[in-house]
Amino acid sequence: MTTFLILLAILLTGLAAASLIVRKRRIRARVAAEDALKHIFHCDSSGTPCTLNSLAGALSCPIDVAAEIAKTLGEQNLVAVRGSELALTSEGREYALKVIRVHRLWERHLADETMVGELEWHKEAEEKEHTLSHEEAESLSKRLGHPVYDPHGDPIPSPSGRLPGEPGKNLEAFREGETVRVVHVEDEPGNVYKDLVDAGLYPGLDVTIRERTDRGVVLEHEGRATFLPGVTAGNLRVERSTAPVKTGPRKTLASLKPGEMAVVTGISPACRGLQRRRLMDLGVVPGTRIAAELRSATGDPTAYRIRGATIALRREHAELVYVD
Amino acid sequence: MSSREEILKTAENLRWELGERFHDLTVEALYAEASRIARKTVSAAGTRPGFDFERALDRLVTGKWTGFPIMFALLGIVFWITIEGANVPSSFLASVLIDSLHPLLKETGSSFGFPWWLNGFLFDGMYLAVAWVVSVMLPPMAIFFPLFTIAEDFGYLPRVAFNLDALFRRAGAHGKQALTMAMGYGCNAAAIISTRIIDSPRERLIAILTNNFSLCNGRWPTQILMATIFIGALAPPLLSSAVSALAVVTVVVIGVAMTFIVSWGLSKTILKGQASFFSLELPPYRPPRIWQTVYTSVIDRTLIVLWRAVVWALPSGAVIWLVSNIHVGNASIAEHAIASLDPIGLLVGLNGVILLAYIIAIPANEIVIPTILMLTALVTGMTGVGSGAGVMFELESEAATAEVLRAGGWTLLTGINLMLFSLLHNPCSTTLYTIYKETGSAKWTTLSALLPLSIAFVVCFLVTQLWGLLF
Repeated sequence: MTTFLILLAILLTGLAAASLIVRKRRIRARVAAEDALKHIFHCDSSGTPCTLNSLAGALSCPIDVAAEIAKTLGEQNLVAVRGSELALTSEGREYALKVIRVHRLWERHLADETMVGELEWHKEAEEKEHTLSHEEAESLSKRLGHPVYDPHGDPIPSPSGRLPGEPGKNLEAFREGETVRVVHVEDEPGNVYKDLVDAGLYPGLDVTIRERTDRGVVLEHEGRATFLPGVTAGNLRVERSTAPVKTGPRKTLASLKPGEMAVVTGISPACRGLQRRRLMDLGVVPGTRIAAELRSATGDPTAYRIRGATIALRREHAELVYVD
Repeated sequence: MSSREEILKTAENLRWELGERFHDLTVEALYAEASRIARKTVSAAGTRPGFDFERALDRLVTGKWTGFPIMFALLGIVFWITIEGANVPSSFLASVLIDSLHPLLKETGSSFGFPWWLNGFLFDGMYLAVAWVVSVMLPPMAIFFPLFTIAEDFGYLPRVAFNLDALFRRAGAHGKQALTMAMGYGCNAAAIISTRIIDSPRERLIAILTNNFSLCNGRWPTQILMATIFIGALAPPLLSSAVSALAVVTVVVIGVAMTFIVSWGLSKTILKGQASFFSLELPPYRPPRIWQTVYTSVIDRTLIVLWRAVVWALPSGAVIWLVSNIHVGNASIAEHAIASLDPIGLLVGLNGVILLAYIIAIPANEIVIPTILMLTALVTGMTGVGSGAGVMFELESEAATAEVLRAGGWTLLTGINLMLFSLLHNPCSTTLYTIYKETGSAKWTTLSALLPLSIAFVVCFLVTQLWGLLF
């Protein structure tokens, strides 16, 4: 009797473990398949050929595993093989766009509704894109006010599966001395993205191309000059600035001393989501006159006179408000 | 443009074309329109006078050298008025509710022919717990909250937050937490409600989760009693009251330190990703509307909290009476529980009586000491103090209280650990219920109970181990 019970226990534990492993494997297979679809989609839209080699590279897996994935996707009628090249069927394209939509929505959520740093957005979204259900994604989109761009400047596919072309052009398309606006900062590969973040570049920023050499470009923005090697610069997309803008040093609200007054010219594009909304709710919009009134006993925060109310702001937030 | 699909498609394209700036542009346009209308219709009266009273006052209360002394002086005055002023009504309420009405109720019960257990359950258990909570809790709250509201109404409190923000910023918290902390010295449950003034979600949660480290008015008597009996007694008689006051102040300072440490830890770990923004309005100074303030603060703050405390005290009083009077085998449930809690209690330098008191007196810290005294008398089989099993009591003199506690095996270490445990342990159930109401989340409510509780156990354990090494 006891032996039987022990055997039963072992059997049950084994079954539970096995089902767990199977489930994990199924999830892993789904993640790999969805990542593969995304890769083929990106090749498609950038016009580069997608092969088993490039797929293996993108998924960082051996080539025979990539072949296996491609085969399965082919059987599901999501991928068509033309010669040595992989292409998406219309069903495959629809599927890929859904995954990309969730990814970009989640990045938008992280940027607007949390204090998660920009270097972690992509990684977290890479996980969420496989687990968030369709309904969850739609309610997230609704809560965020149906955003159309992710925080890197990539358009978010519409629920009906439409996606406009990538915004902007490569820096190559502009001459020295021209001022352009950053519209997209590519977040892959991560180390290049980190260099761009460290250089203080983000969508919405105006930059002037100061110098162009064989090795890279020198950009001026907010009064600082940054050298970007060719590879790094290639991950930026820009468009011609619509209005004449200054890319020299910018005066911010934080530089006002008590008793001084200035007019707001804008809020830094680096200020997003809740922070941006709160500043605007307080009436911090271009044209508002603001006077610094009072410093706290400890020197920070400072109280400002904004549209008839006295509001204290911390230095870190006052630095996000451009004034003239 | 023929079909519906095509119109929708165009709309979709336009959304992408409009892009990100769309929301900004809308808000800007709204402000532009509002100020255009205002310019046309509103006229401003003249310029500012030569001597601006508000500016001068602001410069004084936020000055580098004047700001903090003024703050500490005012805070000291508020506490002094509260403690001194509450003594008289507190002892009046106690004499009416506990000394006169309680025996009267029991007699009435007996004359109606209530069996002893019903009489005990209703009047020794439920009634007494409520009476105790009301008489200890009501007077300080009825004094502290109006004073606090007057300072708020006048416009001084936002300036305090303004001055202290740098400190809180470094801990990842909001300057307004200074106000909710101060409120916590009156009552943690009311302070939790007051965290609504913090408009940034992350900082509000930090303020809620750490408010417990502000010693509430239900815990002050415990601190003062322990300090007098165990610490003040060590000093020569002339200095003993100064020494015990110093001990209580030390506990308060430890509480403030814990607030900052835990705030910092929370903002760096589990609350790292939560959205955060700081803005603080400094409203113009207004002459406080005294009567309106008194009325609203009594209604909004005092009575709501008192009601919640009473609702919780009723079942708690019943439980306290029942565990002391229901016998299993040859001992009451309370005695069994104490015996099994004793090993854990002694490990952290407390004892089973204290732990059981904190479990069954969870609705309000006010009834912890009466419960401890009753349970101690119960387990030691002491006669001549209190009025039997399940009837909470307090003694007139501290010397008599000390005698009961020493008979229960208490030492200086127990006293110190009880002071620390009382400061750090989980909030009372009234506060927990308020936290649940305010956050709407079982997760945060659980955390707000377990986090301080585990800190309390760890700290008491370490103190006990250190004590063992030193003495």
